[in-house]
Amino acid sequence: MSTISINRQAELRLLVSTFLSERLESKLEKLDPDDPKRDELRQQFIPATWLEDAARRAAQIQAVTHSLKPVHPDAKGTNLYSPPSTLAGIELVGSHCLGDAFAGDVVGNAAALDVYKFLKQMHEGHSLLALSVAGDADLAAALSDDPAQAQAWLQAFATLTEPRGRVTSHTLAKQLYWQIGDDVQAADSYHLLSPLYASSLAHRVYETLQDDRFSEAAKAARDARKANTFSERPVHEYPQMAAQQLGGTKPQNISQLNSERRGNNCLLASLPPVWRSTDLKPLLNTDSMFHRYSRRPEVRQAVKDLLAFLKTDPTRNVATRSKRAAWVNLLIDEFLQFTAELRSLEPGWSQTPQCKLTESECRWLDDDGVNVTDAELDRVRPTDIPERICAAFANWLNAQLRPPLPMGDPEFLAWRNAMMEEIKAQEREGTHAE
Amino acid sequence: MPNEPTPHAAVLVLPRLRVQNANAISSPLTWGFPSITAFTGLMTALARRMGPDAGIRFHSVGVVCHGFEAQVTQGGYTRSFCLTRNPVLQDGSTAAIVEEGRVHLDITLVFEVTLSTALLDDAKRAQCAADVGECVAAMRIAGGSVMPPLPGALRRPPRAKLTLLGGDVEAQTKQFKRLSRQWLPGFALVSRDDLLQNRLEELRANAPAEATPPTLLDAWLDLSRINHRASLKAVPDAIAGEPTEVVEWATDRRSGWLVPIPVGYAALSDLYPPGAVAGARDTAVPFRFVESVYSIGQWVSPHRLADMTQLTWRPDYAPASGLYRCVNAFQAPTTDSYTPISFEE
Repeated sequence: MSTISINRQAELRLLVSTFLSERLESKLEKLDPDDPKRDELRQQFIPATWLEDAARRAAQIQAVTHSLKPVHPDAKGTNLYSPPSTLAGIELVGSHCLGDAFAGDVVGNAAALDVYKFLKQMHEGHSLLALSVAGDADLAAALSDDPAQAQAWLQAFATLTEPRGRVTSHTLAKQLYWQIGDDVQAADSYHLLSPLYASSLAHRVYETLQDDRFSEAAKAARDARKANTFSERPVHEYPQMAAQQLGGTKPQNISQLNSERRGNNCLLASLPPVWRSTDLKPLLNTDSMFHRYSRRPEVRQAVKDLLAFLKTDPTRNVATRSKRAAWVNLLIDEFLQFTAELRSLEPGWSQTPQCKLTESECRWLDDDGVNVTDAELDRVRPTDIPERICAAFANWLNAQLRPPLPMGDPEFLAWRNAMMEEIKAQEREGTHAE
Repeated sequence: MPNEPTPHAAVLVLPRLRVQNANAISSPLTWGFPSITAFTGLMTALARRMGPDAGIRFHSVGVVCHGFEAQVTQGGYTRSFCLTRNPVLQDGSTAAIVEEGRVHLDITLVFEVTLSTALLDDAKRAQCAADVGECVAAMRIAGGSVMPPLPGALRRPPRAKLTLLGGDVEAQTKQFKRLSRQWLPGFALVSRDDLLQNRLEELRANAPAEATPPTLLDAWLDLSRINHRASLKAVPDAIAGEPTEVVEWATDRRSGWLVPIPVGYAALSDLYPPGAVAGARDTAVPFRFVESVYSIGQWVSPHRLADMTQLTWRPDYAPASGLYRCVNAFQAPTTDSYTPISFEE
């Protein structure tokens, strides 16, 4: 960029003068034809005057990629201009993913924003700001015929990306300790991290989300899906997305880009699943809990795989036994998960007339509910519920495998004992916790 | 450190903590569940409170979520947060609005710890667990308050428990299995960096040559949403004989309950020496400006995890890249998922 070219200088000069005359025109339009302010404005927009003023006002704003105000609007401290290409290329998502085409943000006095608009003018793929930072000689020549003055202005514009004053954090900024050493009591085991808001990154995400949600192309794709016609563009949905307002009713107080986003900060959902909502209902109008248990995808898959494996009539050795036991263990895991889910229901559901489960199943899944009835009826609580459940499980598994395979007492005992061991272990751990 | 006694591996479980008004906004781009860094931070704070004489050292932390109640508006396409009305400033002027997201949680925390020889004693270990329980009850978890269990909600009030681990891997695996079943029903948050990388490769393979190559950000967004795609299928027409094209809309299959999560921070500035930054909360510790970095997480039922390392997260620091992140060693079962690597008879 250092080679001086008359052509390039002329282009840049034209860029500057076009920007200024357009701005002047738009301001003059708002005034009456005989308003005395018109002359005043014209004076202001003489390039030398305007540039002198702009160079002065450049100190009031800062171009940033990471800002502090979104963390807390009253926080005062360092904002940073860290272009994505200068960041470490880690294997996680962060600002470094943006590449060269990123939106810069501006913080500071909103009255000086026109200086940033000026510096955002693009010439051959580079902004005037980038050229200023690079100390472009052609741009300097385009700004003023006086080399000293041109240099001064260029430097003033280049400072736009530099942090203001000394490095500062604030009580309202986030500051967190990150442990890097082993000794938790020692100060040198920690770094103090202060997360800034990645405004350029947030902007890219915002633009993608806006495009996926509200653009004409996205709308056409959604319509195509509704009508079941073809669309090149896929339909993207962001379930459970939330929006946070930054800056309240004055998003421009946060930053320029925040103002462009109208203060909307889009948040993608990372909610845990809630089993309650999926299909957790009391087991009503069914005579066995194994009907619903069998329908769980993991159970279906494991039974299928176990059956396929046993059908190959594998040789009776340790490898076979351990493989078989692994599938059975998976079924036991699923059974305990199934049990735990049903036990989280409101107690008492098994005591309604619609519940057709056997007594031991009711007691297994709704112990508290049955206990209440026991107390009312003065019934004695049986002690062999786990044994009965294990036997029921073993019977169920045998029935799953029996049509093609001859399943009998040895298998029954094996399944029952495997389940018994797990239930006993779980109960032991449970009582131990008391 | 004066002659460190031989450490003994153990698991500390804080079951069924009710946390009220925890921070639901985990990063500038995600919400729903507190960031995992909030839990590693809790671990550090807990270790500092327990002090060096407690004989317990914390290495990593896992979180199992049993229930949550996000304080957000329902209905519509976008959730917004139910806000609190905050008091005015000292001089009577209104405070700046900072939207906060809140969530009530029901969680189990599992810590990988090592114990000093003194804690091999059962009674001492039980006492230590009780001390930790008491300590945590007075702390904030992800900004939320720890609440006592609701009266009558559970038959047995849950207590903190410290379990010594057996010597060999096999015994430890078995112990972990037994422990993990007590955390049912619930879901543990684990890391799926592998899926993020895979999706990036897929996107790159399918991207048109002239377009800008997809980045991790594109892969991340792609995994964070539901994608419906149309395809054209030629179906032979029985009457005309000519095949007709039929449009089919299909939704991308998702391998598990995947969510976008923040996993730590990446450096934006140099590391400033202690005291160099004005307004820092501690002048004895080096200071650095950072930004949140993200990956993909998965919620899995704890009974699907093989061992402690698959459940827990530990804070890590890479000086070369300035990356501060939480690491979790979850490995998805391969397609041959029902064949275990080792199994005892």
